[in-house]
Amino acid sequence: MVSKRFVAKRLLLLIPVLFGVASFVFAILHLSGGDPAQIIVGQRASQETVREVRRELGLNDPILVQYGRFLIEAAQFDFGESYQISKGTPVRQVLADKLPVTIELALYGQGIGLALGLPLGVLSAVKQDSLVDHGTRIGALTGISVPIYWSGPLLILLFSGYFELFPAAGRIGSTIFLDDHWVLFGRELPLTGMVTIDTLILNTGAYIGSILNEGLTAIPTVLEHYEAFTSAVMHLFLPAVTIGVYSMALISRMMRSSMLEVIRQDYMRTARAKGQGAKITVMKHGFRNAMIPVITVVGIQFGTLLGGAVLTETVFGIGGIGTMLVSAINATDYPLVQGAVLTFALLFTLVNLGVDITYSYLDPRIDQ
Amino acid sequence: MSTETPTTRTDRDERGALARLKNSPFLSELLSNRLALIGIGIILGMVIIALYARLFYDLNALTSSRLGGFPDRTAPGWAGGPASLTEMYFGTDALARDIFRRTMYGAWIALKFGTITVAASTTLGVGLGIIAAYYGDVTDNVIMRTMDVVLAFPSLLLALALVAIFGAGLWKAVIALTLVYTPRFARVVRGAALKVLEDEYIDATAALGATDPRILVRHILPNTLAPITVQSTLNFGLAIIDIAALSFLGFGAQAGTPSWGLMLANGVENGLQTGKWWMSFFPGLFLALTVLGFNLLGDGMRDALDPRMQDTLD
Repeated sequence: MVSKRFVAKRLLLLIPVLFGVASFVFAILHLSGGDPAQIIVGQRASQETVREVRRELGLNDPILVQYGRFLIEAAQFDFGESYQISKGTPVRQVLADKLPVTIELALYGQGIGLALGLPLGVLSAVKQDSLVDHGTRIGALTGISVPIYWSGPLLILLFSGYFELFPAAGRIGSTIFLDDHWVLFGRELPLTGMVTIDTLILNTGAYIGSILNEGLTAIPTVLEHYEAFTSAVMHLFLPAVTIGVYSMALISRMMRSSMLEVIRQDYMRTARAKGQGAKITVMKHGFRNAMIPVITVVGIQFGTLLGGAVLTETVFGIGGIGTMLVSAINATDYPLVQGAVLTFALLFTLVNLGVDITYSYLDPRIDQ
Repeated sequence: MSTETPTTRTDRDERGALARLKNSPFLSELLSNRLALIGIGIILGMVIIALYARLFYDLNALTSSRLGGFPDRTAPGWAGGPASLTEMYFGTDALARDIFRRTMYGAWIALKFGTITVAASTTLGVGLGIIAAYYGDVTDNVIMRTMDVVLAFPSLLLALALVAIFGAGLWKAVIALTLVYTPRFARVVRGAALKVLEDEYIDATAALGATDPRILVRHILPNTLAPITVQSTLNFGLAIIDIAALSFLGFGAQAGTPSWGLMLANGVENGLQTGKWWMSFFPGLFLALTVLGFNLLGDGMRDALDPRMQDTLD
C-alpha cells in the first residue's frame, strides 16, 4: 500500500520546486530584454501607443508587484494573451488546443518503447552474453546515439518517399474534416484533441448510426466508416516509431541491467529451489522487482521524450505544443513561451510524482 | 605491488591520483572491452577528421553560396549524380555547397562546442557538488534545491527557454546547455563527496590544520574523479546531440555554418519531400557515429569502474 504520509511529504516537496519553476518562467520575460509593449503594437507605433500598452500590461509597476501578480496568475494557469502567433487568444486556450497533440505523440512513442523495450531487456538479461544479448545491447546503444531529427527524416525518405507506405507530414488526410464535438444520446460532448481517439469515437458513432438506420446490410461498410481513423493512425505511425525506437533503446538497456541484478538475488534461487519453473520465476519474482528502477528511468526519460516530441513535431510538421514553442520563441511571443515552458515543466514534474508513488507501491520500504 | 621503496607522504600525495589510475584494474579492464575500444577508435577518427578539416579546408568556401558555379541539390557521382562532381563524395546542397567537406568540418564544430559545454558544466557541477557536500546545512540546501528546480524541466525544453532569453547562436546554445547539465554533475559529485567525507582521514587532515580549500581540492576532489569522468564521457554524446538539436531548430549555429544540426535542418527543408536523401543522410550519419563513439566509451568506462555504479549514473 502507498502511505498517505509519503504522498503528502512528496507533495510538500513539490511546492518549492514549482515555486522555483514559476520564478524562472517569470524571469524569461524580464531577462530577455525585449519590450513586450513594442512587440505587441509593432515597430511603427507611436511612443504614445507603446506607453499606453505598457501601462495596460502593468509593466510600469515595481518588479516585485509584477512578480506577485505573475505568481497568482500562473497558479490559475493564466498567462494573458498571445502577442503574435495567435494574437489575442488567451494562452490557456492555445495550450489546451495544442497539448493533446503532443501528449498523444509522446504516449504512443512511450507505448512502443515499453512494449518492445521491456521484453527485449528481459530476454537480453536472461540470455546474458548470448547472440540475442549482444544484438540487443549494441542495437540499444545505437538507438540512443541516433538523434530523432535524423532517424525521423530517414524514415520519411524510406517509408514515405521511396516505398510510399505512409504520409510524410501532418496528422490526418487533407480531405478529411472532423467535427469538433460528438453526440451521445442527443448530448454534445467535447473531443479529446487526440486525433486517433477522436476519429475512433466519431467513426464508431457514425458506423453504429448507419447500422441502426440501414440495418445489418451496413455492417460491411466498416472500412468506409473508419477512413478518418485509418488516416490518423497512418499519419501518426512514423512519428510514433521515431520516438518509440529511441525510447525502446533506453528502456531495454535499463531493464537488462536491472534484471541482471535481480536474477542474482537469493529469493530467485529460493523460488527455483522450491521447484518453480525458470520462466515463472523470472516473470513472477524477477520482473516485478526489476521494474522498480526501470520505472524511475521511464519517469526521467519522459522529459527526454517531451524534448523528442518537439523535434519530431518539427520533422513531421505536426502542430503540437513543441512546434508552437519554437515559433513562439522566434516571434518573441513571451506569454506563449512562458505558458508552454511551464506546462512542460509541470507535466514532467507530475509524471515524476506519479513515478515516485508507483515506486513506493512496488517497494514499500521506500517511504520508511 | 612488489615495489618496496619507502615513499614519503608528499611523494604519495604528488602521484596519488595518477598512480592509483595506473595501478587500478580500471585501464586494463577498459582496454579489454572491445566495444569501448571501438568507441575510442571512432572518437580518434573524428578528432583527426575535425583537425584536418579545420587546418586544410577554407571555411569561407564552405559557408557561402556556390550557386552558379556548381549545380545544386545534386546526388554524389557514385550514386547517379553528374560525373563532373566525382570529388563531391556526398553531393551538393541547396546552395550547391560540397556536403562532404561541410560534413567533415562539422566534426570540428561538434567536438569543439561539445568539449566546451562538457568542460564548463563539469567544472561548475563539480564545484557546486563538492561545496554542497562539504559545507552541508544551508549551503547544501540552497545549492541542491536550485539544482532540483533546474532538473524539474525536461532538458531540451529548458535549453529552449534559456535560448528564448539569450537569443540564438552557437555560443549561447553552449551557455544554455551548460546550465542544463550542471545539476547532473553536482548530484553525482555531491554523492561521491559525501561518501569520502565519512572517511576518518578527512577528519585527521582537518585536525592537522588543513584549510577548507586544501581539503576540498587535495583530498575530496581526487576521490570523486572517477564518477565525474564517466559522467562527462556519457554527457559528451548528449551535449553533441543537444547542440545539434538547437541548431536544427534554428537556435544554435546560424545560416552558413557547416554544423551537422543545421545541415540536417537544410536537408529536411530542401530535400525531404523530393527524396534528396544525401542532404540529410551524411551529416546525420557522422553525428550519430560520433555520439555512438562517446556512448561506447562511456559505457565501457562505467563497467570498468564498477558495475554497481550503474545505479548512481544515468
